[in-house]
Amino acid sequence: MEKARATRKLEDRHSIAVKKADRLRGFGWFYSRFLSNKSAKVGWFLILCVLLMVLVGPYFVQYAPDAIAGEANSPPTLAHPFGTDYLGHDILSQVIYGAYPSLIVGLAAALGATTFGFVVGVLGGYYNKLEWVLSASTDAILSIPALPLLILIGIIFVVTDQLIVGGLMLVLWAPAARAVRSQVASVKKLPYVDAAKTSGMSDWRIIWRVIVPKVGSIAMAYFVLLVSVSVVLATALEFIGVGNPEVVSWGSILYFAQQYGFYLGDWWWVLAPGLAITVVATGFALIGFSFEEMMNPRLRT
Amino acid sequence: MNFIKRRIINSIIVFLAVLNLDFFLPRLAPGNAAEILAAGSKVPATAILLLEQRFGLNKPLYVQYALYLKGIFSWPPDFGISYGYYPDTVTHLFEVRVGWSMLLLLSSLALGIALAYVAAASSTLRRGGKLEALAMDVSVLINSTPIFWSAMGLLWIFAITLNIFPLYGNVDLGATGIGYVESILVHAVLPVVTLAVSIFGESYLLLRGSTQEALKSDYVLAAESRGLYNRMIATRYVLRNSLLPLVSVMSFSLASLVSRLILVEAVFGYPGIGDLIIDAVKLHDYPVIEGSLFFLTVFVIVGGLIGDYVLVRMDPRLKS
Repeated sequence: MEKARATRKLEDRHSIAVKKADRLRGFGWFYSRFLSNKSAKVGWFLILCVLLMVLVGPYFVQYAPDAIAGEANSPPTLAHPFGTDYLGHDILSQVIYGAYPSLIVGLAAALGATTFGFVVGVLGGYYNKLEWVLSASTDAILSIPALPLLILIGIIFVVTDQLIVGGLMLVLWAPAARAVRSQVASVKKLPYVDAAKTSGMSDWRIIWRVIVPKVGSIAMAYFVLLVSVSVVLATALEFIGVGNPEVVSWGSILYFAQQYGFYLGDWWWVLAPGLAITVVATGFALIGFSFEEMMNPRLRT
Repeated sequence: MNFIKRRIINSIIVFLAVLNLDFFLPRLAPGNAAEILAAGSKVPATAILLLEQRFGLNKPLYVQYALYLKGIFSWPPDFGISYGYYPDTVTHLFEVRVGWSMLLLLSSLALGIALAYVAAASSTLRRGGKLEALAMDVSVLINSTPIFWSAMGLLWIFAITLNIFPLYGNVDLGATGIGYVESILVHAVLPVVTLAVSIFGESYLLLRGSTQEALKSDYVLAAESRGLYNRMIATRYVLRNSLLPLVSVMSFSLASLVSRLILVEAVFGYPGIGDLIIDAVKLHDYPVIEGSLFFLTVFVIVGGLIGDYVLVRMDPRLKS
């Protein structure tokens, strides 16, 4: 059992590092809190790469995403490092310009879903009477397959970015609410919550001053994880044709690729957009895991 | 409240939710189905009226609701007539395709969980080893890769470039006897592998989370101090206890699994329910989408209840 002992030792060292982090200030605090973990480092690196691509990329590409930049269906060449599509659009340029719509939808949906899920989770965890109603509705959302529901919404209404964000929020708030609720339920059992009650604090004050600060960190971890999920889900919707094909985004590139060239062997058409989605999703997932690991009270003490 | 009772009540709530969602959501849209069908083309007003009569859309809402409930609760359930495959009924389309979807889903579930179990067992035996770290990183990567992209990758490598497996479909036309079975198997390989890899990713992370927890427990410490073999501790104590959370979480991720199945069928042109849904998106085939949302949700509910039953049989503590 040498190794078990070794891992325990490592965990001790980790918790010491976290305690040290509480005393540090400025960048040192930031570093040991958010970057001292390998998966956090890799995750932040990936996200910074993508951000760099979104912000600086447009100044480096020679072609507009909707310009006929060269020969159609051309495999990667020096002029077009990721080839061209069936109309001769430069795929590198499409991927760079398509990042913004893909990311903004994912971020907005994750933010909305986390906020809503957080409110539902806190209320459901704190008030015993609400607990059952809210857990039943959470279970309902978790049991309805997301993709068919979003497709139904997508073919009924006119597809806009707001509709997609709303639909993603509808299916994604539930896991966040569940995680927050179980956390609140365990925080509620802590003695100082009883102390606050006996000292006559109102319910709202206890929620704001005692519960929310304690579970806010898990909401943050969930937000980052949900960004990863919602970017992939939004792209999947566009990929199957629920989306606006006029706007260049990673999903719409893949949609056209599947329609017009992929089955004929145009692999370069799907390589870059798919890779971009994977990098974003992996980056946010790694950051989310590291948040969870660093903030989970069970792992910290 | 009793665990099973509570889960049954929750399942009924989900069922009622999807039942009403299916009816009211399409009716929230501006215009009814007949007008949407006719939009953009020069259809005379009388034809629209006829269509409305045909679909019963001229009746008051509560009559429509009653007719809708009557259709769903008859046997076989009536989801209406498909627009895209007119005059085929949605129920008949499902009957033809459901078996193929189940073939993919069940075989990939078995393969994926078996792989995850083996990986979790070997990383529990050699804690902190290279294999554990590798399996961990690979699982995180798998979970973040869009499944339609990995499906396209496999398709490109094995069907387009190497030409080992067929490009699309479920079976070759005209194959008979042993050749028929072989053809089905060959067509299923790529979709099943794609799904199984993704199931492996999520269930390995789950299993590892619960083995980590079990390793810290007192009963493992007790087993260690009694001098039991590492292998015995891993299989008898750690993994056996880690299977419970896996079952309970897998019955929840059945819904996300169904979504992934749809995408995989879309990429591989595999004629199951998912492929039907993708066609329906292009044709604006409401009845098929509504019917499949209902059918797939019921499938997830039933799967979840079976999972709960297994869970209670495995863990008697839940009974009380």
